[in-house]
Amino acid sequence: MGILSSMADFIDGLAKRHRLLPWLLAYLFLLPLPFVLATLFNEYLIDLANRICLFILLAVGLNIVKGFCGQVTVGHIGLYAIGAVTSAVLTLEPGGFGGALGFGWPVWAAIPTAVVITAFAGLIVGLPSVRLEGAYLALATLGLGESVRIFIAVTPALGSSTGLMMIPAPSIGSFVFDSFTSYYYLVMTAAIVGIYFSFSILRSATGRAFQAIREDTIAASVNGINVVKYKLLAFVLSAIYAGLAGALFAHMPPGYLHHNNFTVIEMVTLLLMVVLGGIGNVWGGVIGAIVVAIAYDQTKDLVFYFMDRPVVVQPLVFGLSMVLLVLFMPRGIGGWIEDFQRNRRFIRRSEERLSATARNS
Amino acid sequence: MPLLETRNLRKSFGGLQAISDVSLKVEPNTVHGLIGPNGSGKSTFFNLLTGVYQPDDGSYIEFNNVDVTGKPAHFIAEQGLSRTFQLLRLYGELSVLDNVLVGFHPHTKYSPFAPFFNGGEVRRQDNLVKEEMFELLEFIGLAEHAEIPAAELSGGQRRLLALGRAIAMRPKMLLLDEPGAGLSPANVDSLMDTIMTLKDRYDLTIVVVEHILKVVMSTCETISVLDHGQKISEGSPEFVKNDPAVIEAYLGREMADEDIRAAMDA
Repeated sequence: MGILSSMADFIDGLAKRHRLLPWLLAYLFLLPLPFVLATLFNEYLIDLANRICLFILLAVGLNIVKGFCGQVTVGHIGLYAIGAVTSAVLTLEPGGFGGALGFGWPVWAAIPTAVVITAFAGLIVGLPSVRLEGAYLALATLGLGESVRIFIAVTPALGSSTGLMMIPAPSIGSFVFDSFTSYYYLVMTAAIVGIYFSFSILRSATGRAFQAIREDTIAASVNGINVVKYKLLAFVLSAIYAGLAGALFAHMPPGYLHHNNFTVIEMVTLLLMVVLGGIGNVWGGVIGAIVVAIAYDQTKDLVFYFMDRPVVVQPLVFGLSMVLLVLFMPRGIGGWIEDFQRNRRFIRRSEERLSATARNS
Repeated sequence: MPLLETRNLRKSFGGLQAISDVSLKVEPNTVHGLIGPNGSGKSTFFNLLTGVYQPDDGSYIEFNNVDVTGKPAHFIAEQGLSRTFQLLRLYGELSVLDNVLVGFHPHTKYSPFAPFFNGGEVRRQDNLVKEEMFELLEFIGLAEHAEIPAAELSGGQRRLLALGRAIAMRPKMLLLDEPGAGLSPANVDSLMDTIMTLKDRYDLTIVVVEHILKVVMSTCETISVLDHGQKISEGSPEFVKNDPAVIEAYLGREMADEDIRAAMDA
């Protein structure tokens, strides 16, 4: 508690000088990470760090629609797929391998276009939320998300079963982001900027409108919030995050996309991140993304033998931890963070009051 | 010129006629009481006025010279019609300050996308609004609880916050749905004092649904009585109190019939 408190004090002090200082510090702190990982462990961990950054973008985006606005969506992975496939297809050379579509666009034009198209798709995924709630909404969005994957899986122009290959990497001048390390700087920047904007939304009237809808939809509408507009807006904003994560995933080395990356299992993994993180808490979601992505990576190839038959451990572990989390830690890591922040506020207020009485006496 | 007018307002749920042909006028800067037995349609009436329910065909609602019949709730709120709920419906996990900030929502000047493009302007405007909301919280006595979640307030404080959230909208008219429910008589009196002070301070017109007749009789200039979805009486507190139709509605038909029979036997 002591170390955490002094760290929090330090960050608060920085933020008082300038709002962006803590963010800058975090950025500087994360800059040498690839070299640390490569030196202490191995090159592969940089690839894991890159994927964690993408998962952070996805989790933070999902948190906007599910955490802030309270809309249960299981279609987020489908938006991720749309962002990825759109950006890939736009940049591939025409007449590519296996009948895949290609438009030969520059990467830097394709990524924003993919984000815009995903935002529109997000609007469509959000439409059922106008009439449906809870489990019904989850089912509707699950259908939409999964049908995106199946569509990709059966359409040769979008890669079908072989996947899309040789997706070009982005470049600035002659510098090409085609290694794990160089790509790390791209996705890490995107993740930090994404987290920052998620806070900007949360702390504006937009974020308050989302939360009001989550807490009580009728009261929100009577308070002058256009519930339909803001629900759809939450879906669109989360789709922007998913689209960006998808597009960045497509161009990440080795530039290969397969529909297996967009299955329901991936969606459950994503949900696990947000639930472990504590629904509605941004930092919780980030920590959840890091923890679950590492756990996912570590348990991926784990198999044990039951009566000479192989049993894949991962779905068991993830399913069980989801149940245990919801039962025993419903507020997730975010709950601890909130308690910690409240304690600090309480202590600060008490100290202020004490010093005020000391002055007066 | 009434601030609020309904003509032939009606609403049925399946076979149940919850509100039938209620016509009502509320003059500006008055306190208008709405009373009636349980199930007489008072809350439905509020829900129709604020757009929570859609009225049936043939109804007409005009607020501040704008036809708001069948308009969505947020549109009606934007016209300056605010309300509280019988069950409060506070945003439990949001802080007290955030609750009143949501109440202020219709006056937000920046676009929902502004946090992306113009964070500085968002912060500048929010800080101004927060100052204003702090004044409001100080006025209703919740300023020192500004940062705690609304769910952790006491019952009386929650009622005050519901009031504060409704006022934060700077409404022209405030609909109060049983503001005193569940409060001790002393607390009800102090709550009504607060409401009357708020009325003067913010230049409000108030329509109040209340079961505690003493409160209604002492604060309202006009009272309308609903029974089985129909307006059965309207007038000054003195008039309504002595109206036989009202007495019958409250004491029950059988009892009234018995009274009549007793009178005939005698």
